[in-house]
Amino acid sequence: MRGIFTPITKIRRQVFTEVARYAFERDLDQTDFNHFYESSYRIIPGEVATYRDSVFKERAIIRERIRLAMGLPIRPSITHQPLTNGMQEAASADKHLQLPLANIIPFACVACPTDRFQVSDNCRKCLAHPCTSVCPVNAVSIGKNAAIIDQDKCIKCGRCKEACPYHAILRFGRPCAEACGARAIGSDELGRAQIDEDKCVSCGLCIVACPFAAIADKSEIFQLITALREGQTVFAAIAPSFVGQFGPLATPGKIVAGIKKLGIERVIEVGWGADVGSLHEAEEFLREVPNKKPFLGTSCCTSWAMLAHKTQPGLSDCIASTHTPMVASAQQIKQEHPDAKVVFIGPCVSKKVEALEEEVRPYVDYVITFEELMGLFAAKDIELSDMDEVELQSQASRDGRNYAVAGGVAQAVVNVIRELDPAREVQVMKADSLDDCRKMLALAKAGKADGCLLEGMACPGGCVGGPGTLSQIPRAGKAVNAFAGASPYETARDNDMQALTTAFKNTQK
Amino acid sequence: MAKISVEVCAGTHCVMMGSMNIIDAVHSLQELHTAHKPACEVEVVAIPCTLMCKHEEKEGPFVRVNGKLIEQAESEAVMAAIMDACIGGETA
Repeated sequence: MRGIFTPITKIRRQVFTEVARYAFERDLDQTDFNHFYESSYRIIPGEVATYRDSVFKERAIIRERIRLAMGLPIRPSITHQPLTNGMQEAASADKHLQLPLANIIPFACVACPTDRFQVSDNCRKCLAHPCTSVCPVNAVSIGKNAAIIDQDKCIKCGRCKEACPYHAILRFGRPCAEACGARAIGSDELGRAQIDEDKCVSCGLCIVACPFAAIADKSEIFQLITALREGQTVFAAIAPSFVGQFGPLATPGKIVAGIKKLGIERVIEVGWGADVGSLHEAEEFLREVPNKKPFLGTSCCTSWAMLAHKTQPGLSDCIASTHTPMVASAQQIKQEHPDAKVVFIGPCVSKKVEALEEEVRPYVDYVITFEELMGLFAAKDIELSDMDEVELQSQASRDGRNYAVAGGVAQAVVNVIRELDPAREVQVMKADSLDDCRKMLALAKAGKADGCLLEGMACPGGCVGGPGTLSQIPRAGKAVNAFAGASPYETARDNDMQALTTAFKNTQK
Repeated sequence: MAKISVEVCAGTHCVMMGSMNIIDAVHSLQELHTAHKPACEVEVVAIPCTLMCKHEEKEGPFVRVNGKLIEQAESEAVMAAIMDACIGGETA
């Protein structure tokens, strides 16, 4: 549940902290991974179930979550396999994560019905019963106590729901499938949710939508911590939505200090890479639209770009060819420090998939979310409010920092276009959910977006609404705006041109 | 109007376990319909780690409503404590 702290949020964070703690404490040469059996008892203590019908099931689910947090696949339920399978190999600083990223833990899924209309206790068995009259397939009848819907006949048109004067008819949906704008969630043979990998764009919204905590993504915290413990130089590139994520006392400077205390060498603002992207996309827009491309879609949101490529391959060319801000920042780091490792820290889980791409792999070694980072802080007992402020070692413009909120990306690009060609009028279309992104693509295909700049974002509210965040969206949005306003530069063009130009050359594919 | 002080620990463990959501929940009381809104001035302060989690083996999030400690605080318990304190304050 986005924005509400539920037992699911708690469990997820306990697992991150537990895995991070052992990654920090373990003997690097002689690790006993059986430790993680104990972990499931620490997280689910006692003999009485707290969350589900059985304490044994609760612990079994925790154990699969631990595997995912180590970047490992969940185990098949039908054969015996020790929890520790594959852990030795995963316990290195090398990239270990493999697709699929988002995983449904089958025995945690309660097989919610998909799209079903049900009569609730609100039904008064009224005299009028308009529910029966409006049904086009005669599926609604009046039973002994209430209206009855014949599920075999029902075509799910929703007319009975609309007609009921008592709001007694409810549409019962599957939260994971409803959160999935890519329409990638179907059912397995037991009616449990199943992700179609061909359709999934790894936005991660099903993870935070499932009310039974049955979905989780893989993490790279164990490999990152191992790199830190081996004494490797690690640079962090932090997404602009980081401000306000770690509590009201954790100022941006204290968050940076906390990250450095984990052993990370330097922290770079990805907003800086966003500035690189704005320059490139403005230039591409002026050069290509409308003569070579009917419109231009922004490229910073991986899930949006994946959705466009998967569902409308004919429009693929119209998504900007710029690397994402993550990649632009990482490239700059690797150019200066080729031997360093780079961790991207953000609100996003689809960046984990982007980092697996052939072209991106050399630059981004690990991707972790803010929530996972919080697990690292907790594991190391780092009190952010006690930290001395440390400055970010890169500056992003106001516009670059505003990439974190819906509308900010297009605004940043438009501001550059205006500076380059004041006479040019730019129309903007925006969508900040995959559902709306899909509709926007359909409009674009029909020629209704010609000449426009299209900003696509998978998460409602933009990156501040990402599945890996801790703060509620309005609070985070305000924090981002304040931080953006504090930048010494307004637009991408105001930013340090020397460094930008160098990066700019390397950003074009 | 009676004043109610709400102190919410914003240390690392407490934030991780939902103290930001508690602050938001307290603020949300002001959005209730006038008839339900607490007739008190609610002052919320985020405080640094109290070290109770480290030294006293207590579990956060820690919240104090008018000085009274709530351990393992959840937003519903904190909102209820505020509403109670508000009614109590008025009749007293």
